[in-house]
Amino acid sequence: MAEKLKSPKIGVYICWCGTNIARIVDVEAVTQYASGLPNVVLVKTYKYMCSNPGQDMIVQDIKNHKLDRVVVAACSPIMHERTFRNALRSAGLNQYLLEMANIREQCSWVHTDRAEATEKAKALVHAAIRRVELHEPLESMSVKMTPDVLIIGGGIAGMTATLEIADAGYPVHLVEKNSKLGGNLLRIDLTAPYLYSARDLLTERVTRIRDNKLIHVCLESKVTDLSGYIGNFSASISRLNGKEAPNDKPLKVDIGNIIVCTGFKEFDASRIVHYGYGKLPNVITSFELEKMIRSGNIETKEGKAPKYVAIIHCVGSRSREFHSYCSRVCCMTALKYAHEIKSAHPACYVSDIYIDMNAFGKGNEEFYRRSSEAKTLFLMYEKNDKPVIRKASPKDDCGMLLEVNEKLSGEQIEIPADLVVLMVGMEACEDAHEIARLVNISQDKDGWFIESHPKLEPVATTTEGIFIAGTCVAPKDIPDSVAQARAAAARILARIARGKIEVDALFSEVKEDLCSGCRLCNQLCPYSAIEFNEEEKHSNIISALCKGCGVCVAACPSSAIKGRHFTDQQILAQIEGLFAEIL
Amino acid sequence: MAIRVNPGFIDVLDKFGRENIQLCYQCGDCSAVCPHADEFYKFPRKPIRQLQMGLEKKIETTLEPWLCYYCGDCSDLCPRNADPGATMMILRRYLSSVYDWTGLSRKFYTSYKWELGAITIIGLMITLLFSVFNPNGIVTSLTPEGGVKVNEMFPVETVNTGAHIMLITIAGFLISNIIRMWYFTILKDKTLKISFSSYVIQFRQLIIHFATQVRFSKCKDKKYWGFHWILMSGYTLMFILIVGNLKWFQTDKIYLWYHPQRLLGYYSTFGLLLGLVYFFYGRIKKADQIFKLSHLSDWIFIVLLLFTTVSGILLHIFRIEGMPVATYYTYIIHMAVLVPMLCVEVPFSKWSHLAYRPFAIYFSELKKSALSIRNREKLFLKHN
Repeated sequence: MAEKLKSPKIGVYICWCGTNIARIVDVEAVTQYASGLPNVVLVKTYKYMCSNPGQDMIVQDIKNHKLDRVVVAACSPIMHERTFRNALRSAGLNQYLLEMANIREQCSWVHTDRAEATEKAKALVHAAIRRVELHEPLESMSVKMTPDVLIIGGGIAGMTATLEIADAGYPVHLVEKNSKLGGNLLRIDLTAPYLYSARDLLTERVTRIRDNKLIHVCLESKVTDLSGYIGNFSASISRLNGKEAPNDKPLKVDIGNIIVCTGFKEFDASRIVHYGYGKLPNVITSFELEKMIRSGNIETKEGKAPKYVAIIHCVGSRSREFHSYCSRVCCMTALKYAHEIKSAHPACYVSDIYIDMNAFGKGNEEFYRRSSEAKTLFLMYEKNDKPVIRKASPKDDCGMLLEVNEKLSGEQIEIPADLVVLMVGMEACEDAHEIARLVNISQDKDGWFIESHPKLEPVATTTEGIFIAGTCVAPKDIPDSVAQARAAAARILARIARGKIEVDALFSEVKEDLCSGCRLCNQLCPYSAIEFNEEEKHSNIISALCKGCGVCVAACPSSAIKGRHFTDQQILAQIEGLFAEIL
Repeated sequence: MAIRVNPGFIDVLDKFGRENIQLCYQCGDCSAVCPHADEFYKFPRKPIRQLQMGLEKKIETTLEPWLCYYCGDCSDLCPRNADPGATMMILRRYLSSVYDWTGLSRKFYTSYKWELGAITIIGLMITLLFSVFNPNGIVTSLTPEGGVKVNEMFPVETVNTGAHIMLITIAGFLISNIIRMWYFTILKDKTLKISFSSYVIQFRQLIIHFATQVRFSKCKDKKYWGFHWILMSGYTLMFILIVGNLKWFQTDKIYLWYHPQRLLGYYSTFGLLLGLVYFFYGRIKKADQIFKLSHLSDWIFIVLLLFTTVSGILLHIFRIEGMPVATYYTYIIHMAVLVPMLCVEVPFSKWSHLAYRPFAIYFSELKKSALSIRNREKLFLKHN
């Protein structure tokens, strides 16, 4: 238990946040109240405490008044805790001797009654004062950073990340489950909207990877085991079943960081029964058409050139029964098909049956326009009223008829088709769950890997040292996948360059003499940060992996785990402070 | 019952002067800006959609393209430059060819060889007729007033008989086509119940809109309507004077300048010239949306009219000034332009709109009143 300092000297700073706080909370009243509390040496208000003059004021006060604890009553700590911690640090005080009282998001923004809001602000400030009395100075620690990187998945994202890191001079292990590098891009002919050849994009990458001595490519392999933590992982790479030589042993590699680029698989079109995929021979998926295009022969199963081709968008995407998300690349790919079909068969009519045309970003709207100019017939269907495909009668001049309620005209129509192309959406790979468990990252309800922040941390995960890039995160096109791969590589290179990594001081510790070795916490830890010491029969927390979530602290039946910066005493003192005026 | 889409229809339309129809992505800005579009007639958006999808049976029944006067506001506003105004024009050409049972309209609109060929052949026939079967030849003696004896060169009775035969023929074609238009747009729709009294009450629409084109004045730029009306009134008046009352108009007498015969003739000439100058200027300069695209049928229409008007003016001058030889040849040229213009343009080409448009307005009002009664009944049933 932390010793309560004999006489802590606390400085309390109350922010107006312009009018954000001061309009509802009587800042002066809170100041007066706080100055009457024990151990409070000084209380100040300021219009914007986060501004440079506000921070300078805190720094000067710490120096002049020898403050050893600081409470800032302002906005959410998510917003500015780092700002004020830095202020403490520059005044020579340990940054953890700060406590913030959130009187904006949790008070002034959510209340209308000035008197009551002021009382609540007083209680929040009191709680912070009582808590900060028990804060301890904490030091963050640093661990070594192994420069080797493991990249799982050899598609366009994985290859790009590999080259980025190897070009910077660090070794990379690239693990690919198939016999060839390239991933889904191997199956594609041209790319939308500029019609670059996918083959060209790949050949350049593959050649450079092959020629680079720092890159160790493991084809037909997978990562079977992973242990350790950021900077100090150890992975086992095994040949896939049936591929291993008799005496093959898994390859053990030491790595510092991992990028997961395992890509996507296409939606199984036979799940939508009334499209008749698998039953009607001329209903094909986009990847099957891609195969025809690559072989240079777009034709029906009967070997005839199609007179009418119908392309159905959003197969498996944007629907209640299958996937609610948009697969993002299909619209432009469909336009690309319209272009490719017209190039192969100029007399062929292409109908493009869509829910919405998502021509986002660079070059796509122009591509859409060009497709209109080439007389592609665009027809809109209602999300929950999908087209129905049936065989045409012998007197029709087409093989199939698609019946659809066309939204823009309001007519129930029949579309002739000799070939129906289903624009199958993207979905997470079957083995995504296995990989998620292996590297300890989370998946969303659709199976995509979850990034640590969707806007600001798109390639990091909640597990330090594990990055994600490309279509294993969410459906995306080639430029976005490449950008993510490069982003992940850049993040890793920055860490490798430092040689060491700082670990936040907020982790839990096991008091070994109290631990009974029940191992309850080992199972509960969401970050796999607790290991069991078989020899001494007690659990041990790997501080580099621990996020300080507190699950083990709450669960430990012997109270043997202490959450640093969130001790029982600190929290109880905070609660006491909160209710000081009521109890 | 589902209607079969015909993606190849757009290729058929090409021949009528297709302009970027396929670029339309149905935002509806055109219908929002059009002063003529309303809850019943959602054009240009709706007919464009039917056209893109090739719903021929639907297009046949639509009157909407005729409600458009092509002011060009929609085309100015179109975010995709799909030119809805021009599309309405193309649809009018297409619909004319649908109404016309002879198939000539389609030939004339889609083939310049046919249109120019027909005009040339009729023109040559008229020249032949007047030069070969002319008993008196050039009569050089003058009337006591000093004018040319036109009626001795071209006996008015004979010419008038010819004019009446032509009038009946043209009217026969035009009326039969209007009956077909009525069949396609009203009769075919079995759900429409239009009472006889409705036909009588709404008949005024036909008269009003034929005479005034007052709906055109609802377009933002009123000058189109002004010039169009002046040209139309001059033309119609001249048509009545010549075809309807040739004996009064083709005379050897020289009336004083304020005589109604001369004043009416001068008004018509003025109207025709003013209108022609305006339309020629517009079509050559292409500054306004309405004049940006000129189909061959648009040009032939005003070129022939210009030749007719100029030759008519010259004829008038030569006669009064007593120049028999010039009068003789100008008369034949005048006829060789006027007759093919009337025979080709009025029933089968650009000029048929003088009949189709007022009838379309008449029919559209009939439809509208029938639809609003039906809507009221539906509403009544819903509330009871």
